[in-house]
Amino acid sequence: MNAPKALRDRQAIQAMPVVAMGLVVMLLGVLLWLLHRNEVEEEKRVLIQDILWVEQNLYFHLSSGVERLGQLADLAGRGGVASPEFVLQSRALISADPEVERVLVRDAEGTILQSLPPVEADGGGVGDPQWHSTLALARSSGRPAYSPPFTIEGKGARFEAQVPFFRNGHFAGTVAGVFSLDAMLAHHVPWWFAQAYRLEILDGNGTLLAAKSQLSPSEPGASYTLRFEPPGHGLELVAISYHSDPQLLRNVLAAAIFILSLLSVSSLWALRRHVRRRLAAEQALRTEHAFRKAMEDSLTVGMRARDLEGRITYVNPAFCRMVGWTAEELVGTVPPMLYWLPEDLENTYEIHRAVLRGEAPAEGFELVFRRKNGERFNALVYEAPLIESDGRHTGWMASVLDVTERKRSEELSRQHQEKLQHTARLITMGEMASTLAHELNQPLSAIASYATGCLNRLSAGDTRAEELVPPITKLGAQAQRAGQIIRRIHDFVRKSEPMVVPCFLDEIIEGAVGFLEPDARKRGIRIDLDVEGAKPRVEADHILIEQVILNLVRNAIEAMGHTPRPQRMLSIALESEDGQARVRIADRGTGIAPETAANLFSPFFTTKEAGMGMGLNICRSIVEAHRCHLWFEPNPEGGSVFFFTLPEMTG
Amino acid sequence: MTEGVVYIVDDDEAIRDALGWLFQSRGVTAECFSSAEDFLAAWSPGCSGCLVLDIRMEGMTGLELFDRLCEMGAKLPVIFLTGHGDVPMAVSALKKGARDFVEKPFNDNELVDKVIEALAWEMQRLASDADAASLAQRLENLTLRERQVMDKVLAGKLNKVIADDLGITMRTVEVHRAHLFEKMGVKTAVELAQLLSSRR
Repeated sequence: MNAPKALRDRQAIQAMPVVAMGLVVMLLGVLLWLLHRNEVEEEKRVLIQDILWVEQNLYFHLSSGVERLGQLADLAGRGGVASPEFVLQSRALISADPEVERVLVRDAEGTILQSLPPVEADGGGVGDPQWHSTLALARSSGRPAYSPPFTIEGKGARFEAQVPFFRNGHFAGTVAGVFSLDAMLAHHVPWWFAQAYRLEILDGNGTLLAAKSQLSPSEPGASYTLRFEPPGHGLELVAISYHSDPQLLRNVLAAAIFILSLLSVSSLWALRRHVRRRLAAEQALRTEHAFRKAMEDSLTVGMRARDLEGRITYVNPAFCRMVGWTAEELVGTVPPMLYWLPEDLENTYEIHRAVLRGEAPAEGFELVFRRKNGERFNALVYEAPLIESDGRHTGWMASVLDVTERKRSEELSRQHQEKLQHTARLITMGEMASTLAHELNQPLSAIASYATGCLNRLSAGDTRAEELVPPITKLGAQAQRAGQIIRRIHDFVRKSEPMVVPCFLDEIIEGAVGFLEPDARKRGIRIDLDVEGAKPRVEADHILIEQVILNLVRNAIEAMGHTPRPQRMLSIALESEDGQARVRIADRGTGIAPETAANLFSPFFTTKEAGMGMGLNICRSIVEAHRCHLWFEPNPEGGSVFFFTLPEMTG
Repeated sequence: MTEGVVYIVDDDEAIRDALGWLFQSRGVTAECFSSAEDFLAAWSPGCSGCLVLDIRMEGMTGLELFDRLCEMGAKLPVIFLTGHGDVPMAVSALKKGARDFVEKPFNDNELVDKVIEALAWEMQRLASDADAASLAQRLENLTLRERQVMDKVLAGKLNKVIADDLGITMRTVEVHRAHLFEKMGVKTAVELAQLLSSRR
């Protein structure tokens, strides 16, 4: 089956957006991470570049400072350290190089010969407490030597650069510049660097000696460390980049993406739930629809919906089966409908209009409809207004029942019932006849036996007359007995003679015709009843005369079975003349052939397939019992006319 | 006078009387019964004669009576009297072994003729039945030895051979032979053979 496949498909469809969403989020994550990494690397590259540049810059300034110290050392070697030129040069150096705080001149033993600015002004330590080793280094190398960093009275870290000077080729001492690390950083680190990085100078133990920063790094970013040499001695330059604004922006972006992903996932989930609910609802609707459709399709009652103009909007299969047209042919058609009788359009229209006016009888009404093959059928129609869910009246729903079968079976059962009664009557008659025959047989047999016995005796020739007296007497008695039986039959017949009472013949006729009218209408026969003129009063057995009329009218109806529809006309007339009421029943059937005419009133003669051949015979007996006549004549317009007369009452 | 009796069973008194008179007029003795039950009460297997039976009666019908008689092994001829519409019933009775039926009202002497014929047939039947019965009776009376001797005699064996076969003396065979001839009512072996051939 493909139900599991469909389920799998549906699940796949449901899962795809989730998967896609997950992939998107993952890719975004990867992208962000890559960006971040690039940025970090770029940052690092820039940082290294920058710090290298700063280091170069510091180095440049330091070396230029040391160069000028070298010039001072030259002066010190040539002249003296107290010469005005030296002082002047020194002051110039200090003012030109803000990081040089002071210039100290030491002799070979380390005694300070000159200090600019003067030491008193400071009132603290001047120069390097460890100057000795630096001096030794300068002396031995003959090149500038740098001291390890030191601090003077909590005033930040400093270092000395001692440049040896010589007199007459001998080491005579050093000219030292005291460099302030803080000042170096302050003057030689540009503003753009300070904005991006905090620059620190650490000694070999990692102790902070100086720093240039406009902000304290609350969240230190990438950092890079360089050896700070000269002055060396394990000094390090450390640049720490601040977390810049782009970082924040990027975080905001990432957060936004994350939130968006969350939102889309949750919206997806909501959508999925919604879709599921929709699917469930659709499924329920489909089930419901299928159920209703199955119900409609299984109905044997035809359903037909029409809008307010009478246009068909829906028919169910049962209705289509009933009329023989398909739903496609019927839906959308307007009156006159395909299944209306062409010959009865006016009447059908009238009913149709009554329905549209909302005057359809609640107990339904009967109509004759036409099938596609031309067959007619009786339909029982119930109309009900179609009310939409919002209470608007949008049309009419009719249920249509094919009652032809029912009517036919009713008709059949009625006929059957009649036949049964008839048969029962005949059987009773037969029984009676048989009983009578048996009863008559007894005395007749006895008579025959006595007579034969007497003849035997007589033919024997030795019989005396008195011997024959008893048997002949008994024979006479048996003849009497037979006579009594015959009389009993007469009495029985006399008992069932008509109950004659005065009655109006036209009323009897109307009653009988009313009884047969539906049958006639069903066969498309029009009845022309003309009994208004005369109102003869007759002495008759009401029930028997009604039976006669019923029988004659039914015969007339059946005689027109093969007559073309427009000519199916049955006329019944009542006339009165010469003290006789005359009933005339004329059909337009096939008429009566001369060879059948002679036997028409004989018992057990019939021209009908299911006839008993008693109807006309009984009719004639009844009419004759009323001392009147029943006869027929050919109808000049085709068919036959039956007449019977009854004497009118006088007075 | 015709030998034998005709039994008339009919619930109609006039018919009984008239038929009685009719049979009497032809010299046939008639006994009348007004119902099937009465006839059954009077009947015994030894009864012989002809039964004239009305097919339709109050109480037990003619057909029912006929069935009962058949069950009891009665062999007497039965002629049914039928009325209008009883012919099919009568035909079924014929198939069961009834002799004939006559429709009411009767045709002169037809019924009487049929009864006389039936009585003659009955007499013949009784006679042959009686012969067979007496022969059987005589055979019944033979002793076992006489039976054995008779079989040997019929086989055409001489006394001496018979004596040897049965292991008795000639004298005894002769005595047995004389006894069985006497019992069977014959004088010679040829007569004995003829008598018994009718049976075989």
